[in-house]
Amino acid sequence: MKDVFIAGAALYQAGRHYGKNIDDMAAEVLDKALTDAKADIDALFVASSTTELANKQQLLGAYILESLGLDKIPVYRVENGDGSGGAAVALAYHALRSEEHNCVAVVGVDKPNDVLSNQQQDIYATTLDTYFERYFGFTPLSYAALMAKMYLKKYEYKYEDLARWAVLMHSHGVGNPYAYFRRQVKLEDAVNSELVSEPLRLYDVGPLADGAAAVVLCNDKKEGPRILSIATSTNAMAFSSRPEYDVLYSLNEAARRAFEKAKITPRDIATAEVHDSFSIFGVLAVESLGLVKRGGALAAIKDGDLPVNLSGGFKSRGNILGATGVYQIVEVAWQLTGREFKRVDGNYGVVHSMGGVDKISTVVVVGI
Amino acid sequence: MRHESVPIYWRNIPHYYRLVARRCKKCGAVYFPPVVRCRCGSRELENVELPHEGRLIEYTVLHQVGTDFLKQKPLIIGLVELSNGVRVTGQIVDAQPDKLTPGTKMEVVFRRVIVDGRHGLVMYGYKFRPVGGI
Amino acid sequence: MSRVGIVSWGAYIPKYRIRTEEVARIWGDDPIRIVDVYLVDEKSVEGFDEDAVTIAVEAARRAIRRAGIDPRRIGAVYAGTESKPYAVKPISSILVDALGLSNNVFAVDMEFACKAGSEGLVAAIGLVESGRVEYGMTVGTDTSQGEPGEHLEYSASSGGAALIVGKDGIVAELEAMYSFVSDTPDFWRREGSPYPMHGEGFTGEPAYFRHIVGAARGLMEKYGYKPSDFTYVVFHQPNGRFPVRAASMLNIPIEKVKPGIVVTHIGNTYNASALMGFAKVLDAARPGDKILLVPFGSGAGSNAFVFTVTDLITERQKAGVPTVEEMLRDKIYVDYAQYLKMRKMIKLFE
Ligand SMILES: [Zn+2]
Repeated sequence: MKDVFIAGAALYQAGRHYGKNIDDMAAEVLDKALTDAKADIDALFVASSTTELANKQQLLGAYILESLGLDKIPVYRVENGDGSGGAAVALAYHALRSEEHNCVAVVGVDKPNDVLSNQQQDIYATTLDTYFERYFGFTPLSYAALMAKMYLKKYEYKYEDLARWAVLMHSHGVGNPYAYFRRQVKLEDAVNSELVSEPLRLYDVGPLADGAAAVVLCNDKKEGPRILSIATSTNAMAFSSRPEYDVLYSLNEAARRAFEKAKITPRDIATAEVHDSFSIFGVLAVESLGLVKRGGALAAIKDGDLPVNLSGGFKSRGNILGATGVYQIVEVAWQLTGREFKRVDGNYGVVHSMGGVDKISTVVVVGI
Repeated sequence: MRHESVPIYWRNIPHYYRLVARRCKKCGAVYFPPVVRCRCGSRELENVELPHEGRLIEYTVLHQVGTDFLKQKPLIIGLVELSNGVRVTGQIVDAQPDKLTPGTKMEVVFRRVIVDGRHGLVMYGYKFRPVGGI
Repeated sequence: MSRVGIVSWGAYIPKYRIRTEEVARIWGDDPIRIVDVYLVDEKSVEGFDEDAVTIAVEAARRAIRRAGIDPRRIGAVYAGTESKPYAVKPISSILVDALGLSNNVFAVDMEFACKAGSEGLVAAIGLVESGRVEYGMTVGTDTSQGEPGEHLEYSASSGGAALIVGKDGIVAELEAMYSFVSDTPDFWRREGSPYPMHGEGFTGEPAYFRHIVGAARGLMEKYGYKPSDFTYVVFHQPNGRFPVRAASMLNIPIEKVKPGIVVTHIGNTYNASALMGFAKVLDAARPGDKILLVPFGSGAGSNAFVFTVTDLITERQKAGVPTVEEMLRDKIYVDYAQYLKMRKMIKLFE
């Protein structure tokens, strides 16, 4: 089977883009990525979490192509909630490995700011079980809060230890030209921020942002960053029946398979982009990926830096929902090659893209 | 969300009103939310009502809520283990959050969950509250 | 006729209370005078997510739990209320599914101001006694309305009480019942109107007293009872003064009325008012006690019932169901602003 190379990419500044329709925003970033790759594509995968609900658009891929005047290209819209990006990249990867296609693009896009903040909560809550969780008023935030509370108690951390995640993310985000909030923050800002679902505070929540990212993948290249492996896994247990609340089961399994296929170990990783829609998920992701031992992530941060989320993660770059996974692939590829980001010291990077509260995780290993 | 589906509410009434779960006839595993196939492989499941008492495992007070809950915020969201060992997440009412603690005895109550505006349906369901008051 | 009577009872009082002085503070009334006039120290307030339906479900669940019967054996269910969340759509059908009754059940919501719940009792008695159903249930439930700033606000409160009627396992056997009804417009609420109107003093003599005394006296004369026959007497309780005065008009000693008085602590729960007092008396009654129960509904009418408590009462009192006395003590005080929110009286975008 042929290797899959990242032939071109483009990112859209994360933020509030009140002046753009979602199809045009995606078209602009796709156009840039195609120019960057100097390649024609023979299929398009569109990752989005909420376009039907927030932007009232079905068949989004067709309208993105209409905006670019690109006829006859097969297009598929992929929805795995806020993990849509990773899932779309996985499908694109398989299409190239099977040689059904030679060059494809993945565009991830979401525009949550087309609706009010409480409507965003409504929509985000549809990643939960709509009949038994959303109906009763639960949101992903409330579940993250329960998991954070249990984690902090189990490993005897103080809230202040968790607040360091946000500080770390902001310190990394300063180096990301596409970040939503590109500035340093102080620990006391995080600790004193508004309580949103105790123990979680405002700084534990990745702000929802409008954004789009595109990557062109080809199987007929010889050099450049490559996707070494991809694995997706689902946790089929209800939140209420999880045996443990301080592990991401979907990630555990996806990471095991991805590392095995790539024939590397977590020790080989120079940079990781993980799904920290809420700080606690970032902490659990670092552990479930195997980068640090269980219960050890906050101690590791207290002791020094972690090469995780050099983009600034969801807190600084922003939570662009279904587009985030595509952002993460591009970010890791660029961190490995020193494009737009400071070059990292190493040859391997890993991406964790997650849908819902530990429902579906995709792990992508990127190498140069 | 505005204009909740009436058929969706109606078909879930046994679960919402009486905590009707699914129990595997072969291995006895109980599922809430209900499932179609047991993890043991059996597809023979029967309806069973869950007990109305349990203990609190953990809770949080949620301040950012969706449109249906704007006038009910903050919501106390809890994870409760019922007396038969089945765990259920639910809103906690009639409670002062700072007095809740893991292990607090809880009982099931019947409450309004979503009211669809001034003209729509009033939708009910289970919630939890501490036994004996705190 | 074969024996018929109360098989089980269940009551529910929401946890929240507002003190009379807190309401008086808002409207510049003298709380000492208000308490003196109505003998209501505080009243129950439903939580924001409670209504006449949820209150009815809780009271009915407790009655079923105490009875220990399969709910599918209940063949009739009636809800008496004047606080229906829907103008059209029954509470009784929600009870059918919330309680797990069978679908083969006679069900209707009844309206006769505060008397409807007891009229459900009459209907259940009729169906059980005739053998058409095995058990029948009635629930008096209300989140009573009182216009802010108007005197009804000092008493209008929330609560529910449920009774299961049957022939098997009777704890209070029905001996006699009697009614007294006339067109007396003492209190009403028009369709679409949020709060009731009333005739102030007119609610007393020609309404409450004429009908309560008429029913009680009619029953005693027709069936040959005298006041000394009764261990307990429970009247409808719009305030703390009316039931005491009714007792004196009937030459009933006040000691027989006092144990059933709940209005002082929770206000007037309308359809649950007399039934809540009855439930409180059943919580403490001994075998052989005779209870005279006289609910009243504006508009106006009263039903009088005589029950004799059986040996089974002792066992049923130990069913692990909260007693009325326990619920009177289990409370969380709210201020007037929380009260307005909980009673959904703040104007909201919906
Ligand atoms: Zn099984």
